[in-house]
Amino acid sequence: MHPMTSDAKDGRPVQSWRGPQLALPAVTVLPRLAPLVARPAALRLPIDVPRPAVTRIALGDQRQVVRSFRFQPSTAPAAPVPPKPRPQEPPPAVSLAIVMPPEAATAEPAGEQSGEQVGQGVEPKRTRIAPPADVVKLSERFFYLLQPDLETMLQTSSLGFPRQPFPFQFDGMAFLVPRHGAVLADEMGLGKSMQAISSIRLLVRSGEARKVLVVCPKGLVSNWTRELADWAPEILVAVIEGDPQRRRWQWSLADVPVKVANYEVLVRDRELVAELGLSFDLVVLDEAQRIKNRSSQTSEAVRSVGRRRSWALTGTPVENSADDLVGIFEFVAPGHINERMSPKAMGAAVTDHVLRRTKDKVLKDMPPRLNRDERIELTAEQRETYRRAEEEGVLRLSSLGQEATIQNVFELVLRLKQICNFDTFTGESAKLDCLEADLEEIHASGKKALVFSQWVETLGRLRDRLGRFGALEYHGGMSTAARDECIKRFKHEKKHSVLLLSYGAGAVGLNLQFSQYVFLYDRWWNPAVEDQAINRAHRIGAAGAVTVTRFLAANTIEERIDEVLRRKRDLSDTILSQAEAPAATGLTQEDLFALFKLAPPRAAVLRAAA
Amino acid sequence: MDGTDGGRRDVAAGQTGHGRSMEQKTAEPAVGTAAGPKAYGFLTAVESGPHGIFGGYLLVDALGRPLEFHCTAPVKVSRAQQILFGSTLQSHLHGQQIGATLLAEATVAPEIVLIDSQPMLHVRGHTALPVALVRDGAAGDEAAIVGGFAVGGAVVSPHASDAGRVDDLRERLTELAAAVDLREPFERIRAAIEEAQRH
Repeated sequence: MHPMTSDAKDGRPVQSWRGPQLALPAVTVLPRLAPLVARPAALRLPIDVPRPAVTRIALGDQRQVVRSFRFQPSTAPAAPVPPKPRPQEPPPAVSLAIVMPPEAATAEPAGEQSGEQVGQGVEPKRTRIAPPADVVKLSERFFYLLQPDLETMLQTSSLGFPRQPFPFQFDGMAFLVPRHGAVLADEMGLGKSMQAISSIRLLVRSGEARKVLVVCPKGLVSNWTRELADWAPEILVAVIEGDPQRRRWQWSLADVPVKVANYEVLVRDRELVAELGLSFDLVVLDEAQRIKNRSSQTSEAVRSVGRRRSWALTGTPVENSADDLVGIFEFVAPGHINERMSPKAMGAAVTDHVLRRTKDKVLKDMPPRLNRDERIELTAEQRETYRRAEEEGVLRLSSLGQEATIQNVFELVLRLKQICNFDTFTGESAKLDCLEADLEEIHASGKKALVFSQWVETLGRLRDRLGRFGALEYHGGMSTAARDECIKRFKHEKKHSVLLLSYGAGAVGLNLQFSQYVFLYDRWWNPAVEDQAINRAHRIGAAGAVTVTRFLAANTIEERIDEVLRRKRDLSDTILSQAEAPAATGLTQEDLFALFKLAPPRAAVLRAAA
Repeated sequence: MDGTDGGRRDVAAGQTGHGRSMEQKTAEPAVGTAAGPKAYGFLTAVESGPHGIFGGYLLVDALGRPLEFHCTAPVKVSRAQQILFGSTLQSHLHGQQIGATLLAEATVAPEIVLIDSQPMLHVRGHTALPVALVRDGAAGDEAAIVGGFAVGGAVVSPHASDAGRVDDLRERLTELAAAVDLREPFERIRAAIEEAQRH
């Protein structure tokens, strides 16, 4: 029996059943008997059964749905673009400030570090350019996701760097390049301008940006031109400056990809920019907290410039209140946030637009920094002097009423702070007693310490008392030669264990990483300046941990100021969703009046905070 | 930047936007590379739990920049397929259903199609293009490589049909390998497929 066969025509497995043909054996008989035994050779028994159902199983013949995306080769970032020729010589009456290649720029960017100092021997990192959240179309998101990593793009486009950037700086570029609205809010010294310049370079070289405007404070224009020469030497730069005729010509230069203007020039030339019909592929604002006040002329002038991309660079996106960030976002992404939002909601809304890193987070090879807040109890006589001065001062301010100015308050604060350092009558100092005890140990162990104060007079008093530790002074009242000599002696002569510095002169530009201790004898108004001071010792190259001691006179104006600054840091943290506070959250005139529980009068117009 | 932004108004005028690539849903025959830049194909399949298997085919130029990307809807394997194809299922899915389908969508013919999984080698039976498997390997350790060659940190093993063309294929890959790690574009495909699933 063969109940199942297959259908040979289409090869399908088919279930079928046929009745058997019954074949009987042939019988041989005598011919004459044959008719007698004749019978059919085969007996057919037709059996009719229903045809079974056929089951068909599809095996891989379904058509796959495919989505296809095609990219124009020229749209890829970092596509090599030949350097543009330099513009022809300008007419004699005006001149073009052309940034020269690196040989003209020998100075190290202030506060910048180089990635080649760390991370050597580590597997090379691949930095991906992730699409921003506001890129919705899948095809556009694929455009970013399918690009090579940033390091490969730079390498294949022959875009070299004078110094190897840190991995977090590549991350910064990957953040900026795809964004039309971005706030790079890295802590001071992490190289915001370098990251912006390298991103500008990528956009210019790919042809994505042909007209870029950088706006910065007047004092930073030379820094920008120097850094542009350093990090993007092949890109022509014009600085907008000089008389109106010259500026008109500079604004009109069509074949210079990057223009640099200071805020004041932009305010002055606002109508000229409109008249010339200028529009930029990218506008970069440095120190963007300048536009936190939306009704200011600066903010209005900046926002009036036509642009496709808006980047803001600031280490302090939230200086005093959430409104500061709203002001910056009016430039970056108009209407994206408003002052009615809670700090938490605002933080959530800006997540994709703001990138903030702190040194502690990104510079893993930095030595640890140990912060020690030393709460000092004033001596009895110091306390009495302080009490009297405060009572008299507050009484005087109260009597002035609406006539009180911020200057009056500021003077009182300064006087009280000075008493916290030294009793003005007896010369006693609880802080100095504490400092001396610490320095004994530091001196004995052959270590070095930096002591910062905001008053040169305080430094003089300290020098007198700390002579046995070889104390040296460094402040703005000294000649450059004397200051250089001072640093040389402190660095090379073992007997000098202490360097006394003023915040003004000593907080910037010095490399004192051979010092293991930093004392802030009194507090500056703005934590950014304190951080700069601390960074003289706490920087890459430091041999070990740096201990930072901040003296704080208990139950005095110093504690109240510290409290205000802490609150501002907390607010900023909430909005930026970062563990580390922004470096600078300074005191406003309202803050200063509040230190004495006084409401600021309308007449108080001077801004006291640095 | 590519002309697709042409209609976008400036930020100062109150509008932002992005526009960079063209999405095409119609298949076009491969047209060769005579007029265009050299192209290189990277073909892979990604298993995604309950969704099934996604196929992705990325064509890049000699600097590793994307030219085309094609991806399939997820392919789900039935129980019947598992039983009836048995051990040949993976090669059938990867080589024919996914691989061959994706190669047919490309509008440029690459110098070589690089794959990163053994089952995908079966795509060679459905294309005239050379196919080679890329895997991690010790750079410079040529002696340990049978029938293949080392490029950077990767080892390239051509399909048996292309075994006699090792020198030719090595030459074809020289320019691309100088720009990118040959294992890296597969990461991009996986990231894109992951994105497609979220989209």
